Amino acid sequence: MPMVLDVISENIIKHGSPLALKGSEVSSWAKGLDLPAKGEVLFYTGGEYQMLPFIDSLVKTITHLDQGSKVFSMMMGARNILNKTGFSPEKMYASVLAKDKDRYNSVCFKAAKVLKELGYEFCYSGNEELYSGALLYELGYLQDMEDYVKRVVEVIKKSGAKTIVCLSPHAAEVFKFVYPKMVEGFDFEIRTYVDLVWERRDKLAKLQSAESVVIHDSCRLARELGIHQELRDILVSIGADVKEAPMNREWTSCCGGPIKILFPELSHVIGERRVTELKESGSAHILTSCPYCLSALEAGRAKGDSAVVEDLIEFLYRGVKA
Amino acid sequence: MTVDLRKDFVNYAKSLNAASEDKNIRTAISRAVTSYRNTVTETLERFPHTPALAEEVQEIKRQSMANLDNLLETAMASVERNKGKAFYAKDHQAALDIALGIIGKGKTVVKGKSMLGEELHLREYLEDNGNEVWETDLGEFILQLRKERPMHILSPSIHVPREQVAEVFTKFFGKVVPPDIAEEVKVVREFLREKYFTADVGISGANVVAADTGAMVIIENEGNVRLATGAPPVHIVMVGVEKLVPTFQEAMKVAEVTWRYAQYGVPGYVNIVSGPSKTGDIEKVTTYGAHGPKEFYVIFVDNGRNEMAHEEKFSQALHCLRCGGCMYECPVFQVTAGHFGHTYMGGIGAIWTAFVSGGLEKAAPLLYSCLRCGRCVERCPMSINVPAMIGELRERVIYGKEQG
Repeated sequence: MPMVLDVISENIIKHGSPLALKGSEVSSWAKGLDLPAKGEVLFYTGGEYQMLPFIDSLVKTITHLDQGSKVFSMMMGARNILNKTGFSPEKMYASVLAKDKDRYNSVCFKAAKVLKELGYEFCYSGNEELYSGALLYELGYLQDMEDYVKRVVEVIKKSGAKTIVCLSPHAAEVFKFVYPKMVEGFDFEIRTYVDLVWERRDKLAKLQSAESVVIHDSCRLARELGIHQELRDILVSIGADVKEAPMNREWTSCCGGPIKILFPELSHVIGERRVTELKESGSAHILTSCPYCLSALEAGRAKGDSAVVEDLIEFLYRGVKA
Repeated sequence: MTVDLRKDFVNYAKSLNAASEDKNIRTAISRAVTSYRNTVTETLERFPHTPALAEEVQEIKRQSMANLDNLLETAMASVERNKGKAFYAKDHQAALDIALGIIGKGKTVVKGKSMLGEELHLREYLEDNGNEVWETDLGEFILQLRKERPMHILSPSIHVPREQVAEVFTKFFGKVVPPDIAEEVKVVREFLREKYFTADVGISGANVVAADTGAMVIIENEGNVRLATGAPPVHIVMVGVEKLVPTFQEAMKVAEVTWRYAQYGVPGYVNIVSGPSKTGDIEKVTTYGAHGPKEFYVIFVDNGRNEMAHEEKFSQALHCLRCGGCMYECPVFQVTAGHFGHTYMGGIGAIWTAFVSGGLEKAAPLLYSCLRCGRCVERCPMSINVPAMIGELRERVIYGKEQG
């Protein structure tokens, strides 16, 4: 198998993050928010938005290397190699690409601010939060996942929460459908960020002028979790002019993200095509609600294209600030 | 996995990348996708009972796969009762041996389109054993001349534009064939017409088989199957055991759902063949080979299907009607066509590859290029949960087959 799969699964199991990011880095967005560690509702990021700029940097490296080559294998085994020679992988990742870091890191901050504004109270596991393991499930490492989820559940239980609010539909999917099969008594209520906003959408600040937007439905959100009308309701309630792409809701076209790590060029082509399809709606302001869609569509935007790709969180946060 | 698949992955990734840059593939597929979606929307409006019928067919398929052994026995007895000869081929080689045993050497064979034929490399095998074999489906005929494999299960030469067809025809027929579709169709019609009436054997597949009557149902538009199975003195049907359903009535339901989702709307022809041609017109004495074939053979091919039927998590893959709808909705297939495949294509093709056509090793790169986006499930009239099966097979790739 391509080594990249083993490296990613090992990183998840050993470091609680597909790219072996440190807990302190993943939770840095929460500084100054004073979120409690315990509460009824757990705010769960899974480190997914925070990871995006690093994935992109790796993919950029992969695109220029033959996947079978030694160089590639070495790159993917970077953590092990660097550990031995005394460099921190964070340093290496940072040196490869760090300019998008602020943007993606702040998505979690913005999500928390929007929920606060709507009057929600929640806790956060901070440094201790672990990745859900969704990629172990995706890539077929189910036996490893069975061991791994125990540790995730331990951290979740420490919070004392009964409800988990997921920013990423991938996390929501595994918590909802996979965890109950692997962990006895995993009876948390699983919500998505979109659910919570939808319930109190009347409290959201209205847009100053009717902007036109188009929704890219995430596959997981629209098909597995059945959430698509909610996104439209939210946007309509703040006064946005929602345009529709030819393929939407449960017929949405995938952003190409899931095969980004193994087939980066093809993934890119699929992302480009989806951006084109979305623009056929008549709006070039694309909103999505999934970290991987966000990153894949951003990458699929042609150079010089005036289209804007944003996460729903980023879009709603502008109303909070105003 | 013990085998290092890295090289396979690299080569496969390269072929996908090359395909995604191929303008012919892209133009042809986007045209095909639009036309597929329009036709299906239109015909579902015209025949609104179809989704409910599809649900009924799901249940028919589920029960058929659970009773596969019995159905096979019944179907074989029915074929024999109809004065045909029925065979069961456990695997790939057995299927080829039986076919060759019937055909022999030095024969001319005309063949209808069949994915099973592709799975078995039937044409190549018969040719290697001294026979002349002609693909009669226009798309397959073009690929036969181009020495290529199908890029779609229903439109095999979807990636070849008329200019390239004219080029290969001009060379093959030894006369100038203009890049005009009507002209291209005409030269093949003339050429094959002669083959149908001089061929020794006609081979076809079947879309569905009714066990109670031994009826083979074959859906087509071109009329090539009518001729290939009607004109030669011998007709051989080679069909996967997953096509079996209990009764004739049920077979009609399966056929209707198949053609509706396979973009036929209403197909030009539905052939139902249950035995050799016969007449009793003179003194009520039954005599075989009146106008059609005198000999009728059916080879039921297993080649891994029975194993699949017995695996709870995968038996649903055998419900596949091969309508091809999922491929049109697959974002990977839309830019790579049949390159996302190994005989069988798309996500469902990865599952079939693992069980009947190459095994887990050949399937591995396909399994990992599936997005698991799930749009195929929305389209599939049988609601086959391909993403779930892909997940199961990825687990086998990682830990080996006996696990889980």
